[in-house]
Amino acid sequence: MIIMVPMFNKSLSSRIVFYVLSLCVVLFLISLMVFYASSKQQLEEMTYQYAEEVTQKTVLQTEQFLSPVVKLAEQAGWLCKQMLNQPDSITMLTLKMAANNPEIKGMAVAFEPSFYSQKGYYFSPYTYRQDDRLITMQLGSENYEYFYIDWYQIPMHTGSAYWSEPYYDTGGGDALMTTYSLPLYRGAAAEGKPFAIVKIDVALDWLTENVSSLKILETGYATVLSGNGIFVTHPNEALIMNQSIFSYASELNNAELREIGRSMQRKKSGFVSSTLKGVERMIYFTRLPSSDWTIAVIFPKSEIYLPLRSITLILVVVLLVGLALLSIIISRIVKQQLNPLGKFAAAVHIIAEGNFNVALPGIKTNDEMKGLHDAFESMQHKLDHYIRSLTETTSLKEKIESELRIAREIQMSMIPKTFPPFPSRKEIDQFAVLIPAREVGGDLYDYYINENKLYFIIGDVSGKGIPSSLLMAVTRSLFRSISQYLTDAAAIMSGLNSMLAQNNDSNMFVTLFLGILDLETGNMSYCNAGHNPPLITTDTTRFFPVIPNLPLGIMDGFEFKKQEMQLNDNTRFLLYTDGITEAENVQQQLYGDERLLQFVEGTTFESPQALIEALLEDVQLHVDGAEQSDDMTMLALLFKGVQQKYEKSIKLKNEIEQIALLQDFIEVTGEELGLESSLVMKLNLALEEAVSNVILYAYPRLPDKEIIVSVTLKTNDLIFTVTDTGVPFDPTLNENPDIHLPATERPVGGLGIFLIRQIMNEVTYSRIHDINVFTMKKRL
Amino acid sequence: MEITISHNDDNSISVAISGRIDTTTAADFEKAIAPVISAGSTKVFLDCEGFDYVSSTGLRVFLILQKAMLARGGTVIFRQMKPDIRNIFDMTGFSALFQFE
Repeated sequence: MIIMVPMFNKSLSSRIVFYVLSLCVVLFLISLMVFYASSKQQLEEMTYQYAEEVTQKTVLQTEQFLSPVVKLAEQAGWLCKQMLNQPDSITMLTLKMAANNPEIKGMAVAFEPSFYSQKGYYFSPYTYRQDDRLITMQLGSENYEYFYIDWYQIPMHTGSAYWSEPYYDTGGGDALMTTYSLPLYRGAAAEGKPFAIVKIDVALDWLTENVSSLKILETGYATVLSGNGIFVTHPNEALIMNQSIFSYASELNNAELREIGRSMQRKKSGFVSSTLKGVERMIYFTRLPSSDWTIAVIFPKSEIYLPLRSITLILVVVLLVGLALLSIIISRIVKQQLNPLGKFAAAVHIIAEGNFNVALPGIKTNDEMKGLHDAFESMQHKLDHYIRSLTETTSLKEKIESELRIAREIQMSMIPKTFPPFPSRKEIDQFAVLIPAREVGGDLYDYYINENKLYFIIGDVSGKGIPSSLLMAVTRSLFRSISQYLTDAAAIMSGLNSMLAQNNDSNMFVTLFLGILDLETGNMSYCNAGHNPPLITTDTTRFFPVIPNLPLGIMDGFEFKKQEMQLNDNTRFLLYTDGITEAENVQQQLYGDERLLQFVEGTTFESPQALIEALLEDVQLHVDGAEQSDDMTMLALLFKGVQQKYEKSIKLKNEIEQIALLQDFIEVTGEELGLESSLVMKLNLALEEAVSNVILYAYPRLPDKEIIVSVTLKTNDLIFTVTDTGVPFDPTLNENPDIHLPATERPVGGLGIFLIRQIMNEVTYSRIHDINVFTMKKRL
Repeated sequence: MEITISHNDDNSISVAISGRIDTTTAADFEKAIAPVISAGSTKVFLDCEGFDYVSSTGLRVFLILQKAMLARGGTVIFRQMKPDIRNIFDMTGFSALFQFE
C-alpha cells in the first residue's frame, strides 16, 4: 500500500508541473516576442533619429564654417563694386580680407579679360596664406589662364555662386581645398554677364576632422560627398578624392548604390538601406544647405538591435532560473496536495477484494479531497449493504430457477414421447413434438388407445409460466380420467370445461382439440374448444372445418358441439398450437397459417415424423435465430385405413389322422401372417393338443364328427377357436401337472393343456348351447 | 417319423430320430422304440438332428422310455436336440428328467 502512493503521485504532479510550466513558457515567449518587436521598433526609431540629429549637427557645424565664407565673398563683392575704379584698392582688399580671416586660405577677385585696360589682360589680385605669411600676387598669367578654369568659367556661365569640387592644393601642402566663386554683376540685379569672379579658397581639413569623428553605433561612419558624388571624406582614405559614389558602386557592382548616389544628387535628404559588402546598412544623407555637397551617415542595420541582444539574454536566463524554481515549488505543492489520492487508491483496492471495513485517509481540508473522501466512505457503506442484499437475492433467484427447471422437467415428462407409440396398430402412424419456450409453457398433447379407439388431444393453456404449466398438468390428467368413463367427445369436453371453469379465479383458459378415432371403423368424432383448426390432407390439404365452440374454463355449462367424420384411407392430420403459426422472426413477422398450409400442401411426406421434422426446419428458417416466445407443439397423425381382419377356418373330422391337415392349416396361417417358424411350431403344438383332446374326450369313439378350427387376427392377438358338438368338455379344468416331479413319479398324461397354457396367452372355454367353444389367444 | 436303431460297440444303443412325433405318429414311435426298451442296454443315445416336432403324446413315449431305463439303472441321453424341441422339454420340465449332450 505504501509503495503505491509515490508512483501514483509522480505522474499526476509531473503532469501538472509540465502544464503549468509550459503555460509559463508560452506566456513568457509571447511577452518576450512582443517586447522584442516593440523594442526593435523603438530602437530603430531612436537610431534613425540619432543619425538624423548627428548629421544635422554636423551640417550645422559645416554651415557655421561655410556660410561665413559665402558672406565674406558677398562682402568682398560689394566692396569691389564700391572700389571698382580703384583696382589697387581691390588688391589691398584681398590682402586685408585674407589677413582678417584666418580660415581663408586664399582669396582672389578675377576680372574679365582686360577689364582694366591699364592693368593688362589678366587682372586678378590674389592673396594666399602660406604658413604664416600672406602673399599677394596676380593669379592670372599666360600660364594660368583662369578664364577657362572651373572656378571662373562655371559661375560665369551659370551666373550663380559655385562651390567647387574638392581638390588638392598642390602648391600648398596637398591640403584638401574647396573654392567658393561668386560672380559679380554690374548692376544690383544679376543681369547680363558678370564682370568678375570673387573666389575664396578654404581648407577642408576641419571638415574631414569633424566628419571623421562622427561615430554611429559600433561601426557606423559618416562621409561627405561633393556635388559630383566624389568622396570628400571617408573612413576609407583610399576612396577620398579617388572615387565617387558612382565609381565605387561600379567597383562593388552595386546598382543600388548608384541609385542612392543619384538620389543624393537629386533630393535634399533621404533615408535608405542598401547591402554594401554583404551587410545591410542604413544610409541617412542630407544636402549641405550652402553647397550641393551631401553628408551621409552609414551604419549596419543589425547594430541597431545590439542593445536588445544583451537584454534578451538576461531575460532568458531569468526565465530559465524562474522556471526551474517554479517547477520545484509546484511539484512539491502538488505532491503534497495529492498525497491522499494514492491512499484512496490503495483503500479502493482493498475494498475491491471484498473487505469493506478498510479505513480511509482522513481529510482535514474542506475541498474536493474532502468530497472524494466522503463519496468513498458513502460508497463503502452502500457497497457493503448492496452486496449483502444481492447475495440474498441471488440465492433466492437460483432457488426459483431450479424449481422452474424441475417444473419444466415434470411438464415434459407428462407428454408421451416414445415413437411410434402404438407400433402394433397398423391402422395409424403418429408423431408428435413439443418444443418449449424459455419459460415453462402451457402447451400439451396426449393420446392413448382404449378399446380400439384412439383418443388424442392437443391444447394450449393461456399464458406462460408456472400457473400455465400447472393448468396444463391438470387438463391432461382430467382428460385421461374423464375419457375413461365418458366416450362421447362433446361429453368429455363438457366435463373438462366444467372442472376447469369451476375454481377458475385466475380466469385462465385452455384451447383444446379432441379427437376420438375408432380404429376398427375409421369413424372419427371430434370436438374443438377454441383451438386452431387442424390441417387435413386427403387428396388436397385444407384447414379442417371445425366448430370453434369456446375454450375450456370460461363458461361452465357451455354446450359443446361435437362433429363426426368418416375417414378415408390415408388421411393425414396435422394438429398444432399457435406457437407454430405465430412464430416470429426478428422483424416480428409471423410464420402464418398461409405458409403452414402451403408447406404441408406442397410436399408429400413419407411419414408423420418426416412431416413434423421438415416443418420444424421450415419454421426455424423463418424465425432465423429470433428468441422463441411460445411453446411450439405439433401432432401428426396418419390414418392408413381399417385393418383387414384376418380370418380363416378349417373343418376337421374327429380322426387323429386329420392332425396332418391341421398342421398344414397352421403352416399356411404362419406364412400368410409372416410368423416366425418357432412360433408356428408352438402354435402347431398347442392346436394339436387342443384338437386331440377334443377327439379323445369330446367325441369319445364317435365317428364322423366335426371339429371346426378357426383363427382370427385381431390387432395383436391371434385367436384360435376350436369348436365341436361333442359332450361338454372343459379342458381348462385339468390341473397343471407338477413338472418338478421326477420321472418315476410323473404321471404320463395331463401335459396337453399344460403345454397349451404355456404357449398361449389366454385360454378360455365356454359351452354355448350344445357347442364346446375352446378359445386360445396368442399375443403377437 | 423314422427311427434308426444302431447298437454300438460299448453295448450302448443309438437311436436316430427324424421327423415328427405327434399324436398321429406317437403310436408308431412307441412301437419302434419297444426293442430299445427291452434290449436291456443301460445307455441309450437319442440323436435328434432330424427331430422336428414333438407333442404331448410324444413326450409320453419318452417318459415311458425313461421310466424303463431308470428301473434298470440306465440313462437316456439326448444328442443334438433342436432348440424348439428343447424349449418344449424345458417348458414341461422334461429337461430335468433326461441328460443332454
